[in-house]
Amino acid sequence: MEYIEFKLNGDNMKYEGDASDRLLDVLRDTYKLTGVKCGCKEGECGACSVIIDGRLANSCMIAMGSIQGSDVMTIEGFSKTERFKVIDKAYGDVSAVQCGYCIPGMVLATECILGKNPHPTETDIRRGISGNLCRCTGYNSIVKAIGNAAKEGEGLW
Amino acid sequence: MVKLNNGYVPETIDEALAIMRDEKVKPYSGGTDLMIEGEEGISYLFLNKIPELKVITQDHDYIKIGAECTFTDIEESDVAPQILKDAISELAGPAIRNFATIGGNIGNGSAKADSALILFVTDSLIRLRGADSERTIYIKDFYKQRKQLDLKEGELIIEVLIPKRYLKNYYYKKIGTRKALAISRVSFAGLFHEENGVITHLATAFGAVEPTIVRHSEIDGMFIGKTISEAKSLKDNYVNAYDNAMNPSAGRVSKEYRKTVCINLLKDFLGVNGI
Repeated sequence: MEYIEFKLNGDNMKYEGDASDRLLDVLRDTYKLTGVKCGCKEGECGACSVIIDGRLANSCMIAMGSIQGSDVMTIEGFSKTERFKVIDKAYGDVSAVQCGYCIPGMVLATECILGKNPHPTETDIRRGISGNLCRCTGYNSIVKAIGNAAKEGEGLW
Repeated sequence: MVKLNNGYVPETIDEALAIMRDEKVKPYSGGTDLMIEGEEGISYLFLNKIPELKVITQDHDYIKIGAECTFTDIEESDVAPQILKDAISELAGPAIRNFATIGGNIGNGSAKADSALILFVTDSLIRLRGADSERTIYIKDFYKQRKQLDLKEGELIIEVLIPKRYLKNYYYKKIGTRKALAISRVSFAGLFHEENGVITHLATAFGAVEPTIVRHSEIDGMFIGKTISEAKSLKDNYVNAYDNAMNPSAGRVSKEYRKTVCINLLKDFLGVNGI
């Protein structure tokens, strides 16, 4: 039996399914990580965002074989970090969460924005979440929350 | 090389080409187009873990970008040309740019491919390899028709070679319907170079207009060797030549709209260069 070896939220995994299986489906159905949401399945909405080898990814557009040897982090893994606590509070403080469906993806996009640039401008922030859609259209609060997280989390990124 | 259930993860170009020769596989780069279709039961050749295909280098004449470089790799490179970075910055969103590759963008064969437009206007070359063959051809010859490429069985796109000359003074505009995740309605790129008041190079290319990217170097040639004031007097002829030569496809927008936008972009490009 051949298998795909990769890291998932810090744990070593061996996936025995097909190399063409979609990461999104595998995360939700096999590993029961349902914080990863399915929105469009064509890379348009960012609800299925995860972080692969430090970079934001749409898990709907990733075949399992392509993550052989990679490090995958979902919102479940990220929620155990200090950085998450800062982002979580920042989103809460300005009521940036409405229906919540886009939020796991938005939070991981936030982590990638701040990981790349701990002091982003509003333009950097808007560009950083430009692949994550919020159908409640709560963008202004989300942008504000990310700016606040950058200030509150000074030194974490 | 790692063998998976219905897939291979080679570590070198040679390993990848041997699999291309011996097995029925589909090359997989970033997956950002392939996974939309998400064909079941297909065997993929995963190219994204081959270090040789992920380098950006330059020599005296060319900037060379490995086929598996992602758009983020290119945006972060000190070597990649600014005209390409500009085009990439408007391509999809961050998560797609993190995985989509230049090789995949070309290999998709679409006239809407944002990076391919830049390769056309710069008269770039594509290096292709098979298990026992290698050739380097102009991108214009690589694109034969819509979704039809001059790619032989068993060949892989290895790298693109962008000529360094004339890259400095460029013009790029993408017309889409939103700021991110936009598929081009029309895209246009131009290069302009003059020495001592004489035009030594002028190149234009139009994307998302016809089944393949439009590049009429014979029309652009009208201006070569001319002064700016001579070019001004030729401007109407030049624009008319494009008007006659272009036959836009109808699609999400009408032919007439596409033609009008193309001519407006062309005039704007000439205008900013004093013509």
